[in-house]
Amino acid sequence: MIRNAVAVVALVLAVVLQTSVLPVHVAGSFKPDLLLVAMVFVALRGPVVQGALLAWVLGLIKDVFSGLYLGLNAFSFLIIFLIITSISDLLYAESGELFVVTVSAATLACVTANLILLIMLTSTPGIAYSMFAALLPHLLSNAFAASLVTLLPVFSSPQEVL
Amino acid sequence: MEFFKKFGLAVLAGTGILAALIFYSLNIPDKRSANFVERGVMTVFAPVMKPAARVSGFFEDAWDNYLNLVGVRQENLRMRDEIKGLNARIVAAGETALANQRLERLLGMKNTLKSPVLSVSVIGEDLNSWFRTLVIDQGSSSGIAEGMAVVAADGVVGQIVKVASNTSRVLLLTDHTSGIAATIQRSRARGVVKGKGEGLCSLEFTTREEDVKVGDVVITSGIGGVFLKGIPIGEVTMVKRGEYGIFQTVIIKPLVRLAHLEEALVVLKVPND
Repeated sequence: MIRNAVAVVALVLAVVLQTSVLPVHVAGSFKPDLLLVAMVFVALRGPVVQGALLAWVLGLIKDVFSGLYLGLNAFSFLIIFLIITSISDLLYAESGELFVVTVSAATLACVTANLILLIMLTSTPGIAYSMFAALLPHLLSNAFAASLVTLLPVFSSPQEVL
Repeated sequence: MEFFKKFGLAVLAGTGILAALIFYSLNIPDKRSANFVERGVMTVFAPVMKPAARVSGFFEDAWDNYLNLVGVRQENLRMRDEIKGLNARIVAAGETALANQRLERLLGMKNTLKSPVLSVSVIGEDLNSWFRTLVIDQGSSSGIAEGMAVVAADGVVGQIVKVASNTSRVLLLTDHTSGIAATIQRSRARGVVKGKGEGLCSLEFTTREEDVKVGDVVITSGIGGVFLKGIPIGEVTMVKRGEYGIFQTVIIKPLVRLAHLEEALVVLKVPND
């Protein structure tokens, strides 16, 4: 119960940090995607069923505060979650380096999935250019955020989250 | 001899006193000048007195400084607190002055609009870098609805897209999905301002024959009913006419500094009204 409450508070903090605090202090494209980092963490360390639902919800929350298309990130997050979960048993999930690499790969996958969905289903000319232009800063800031997560006590805990 | 043994000491004392009295009385007339005794004593003591005075002065200063130092630390701490407080007040005063300037300009824009408006503050940005939206601090409870125009002191900001009871999201004019009917102020050439991301827009559907030049101001045309006619949008920064095609490429830089926007006005007029 307490862990769930802590998780909810952390989620709210992540959203507030990402929408209202970081944009004031961080230059344009260097916005870390804290929700994606959280999703990868759950994918590596959490249960599959609840984790999948949470991944979808995290993506949905991201959609509420980003762009116009509700469900875009929810879908991408779910797909990425399932891919990571399917190979997480083969990985040493407690490794900090692996976590940073996985977050970086998930960032690339998320941008690619979003781009494909946007091109296929919406009319947003020029979005690909904007996404590619912001990709490297986004990737770096996500990797940096992931490396900070590895310093948290919850990361070194052997317990499964959720 | 017997007399000296008996009264010698008294006689000596009396003689001494008398001599001292005579010496004193002899020096009275010349009281302003130093005699040989005085000069001699002064000369002898002079080399000793000077360093002694310096050493004494040093210790006096050290003592005074020590006594002062005891209070100086407390005073220093108090003054540091005072400086912090004063600095905070200076920063707050500067911030207030800047906010006053911004709001004054916003009020100027408000007076030029012929519809009721609502003042809002920006409280958040889009989570992604490739979408251009903002979160504002007013929602449906304040009368905001989807489709309403959002303007700032310098011109158009965007359009309300998603409304909750106490917050709303604004689709900025630089977003790829944004489109605003526009006119070149000088030549009245028409087009649609579409977002290009990266803080720029383009004027689409403007034919090659239309007169568009770098530096032209682009304003809303009022067509579509979302934005009132004549609100500044941006300035033309590039015009390109290729050999082929019926349209020209026109790049526009918005007049509003969207990255630093803090306050804006929502025009409380639903487009279909």
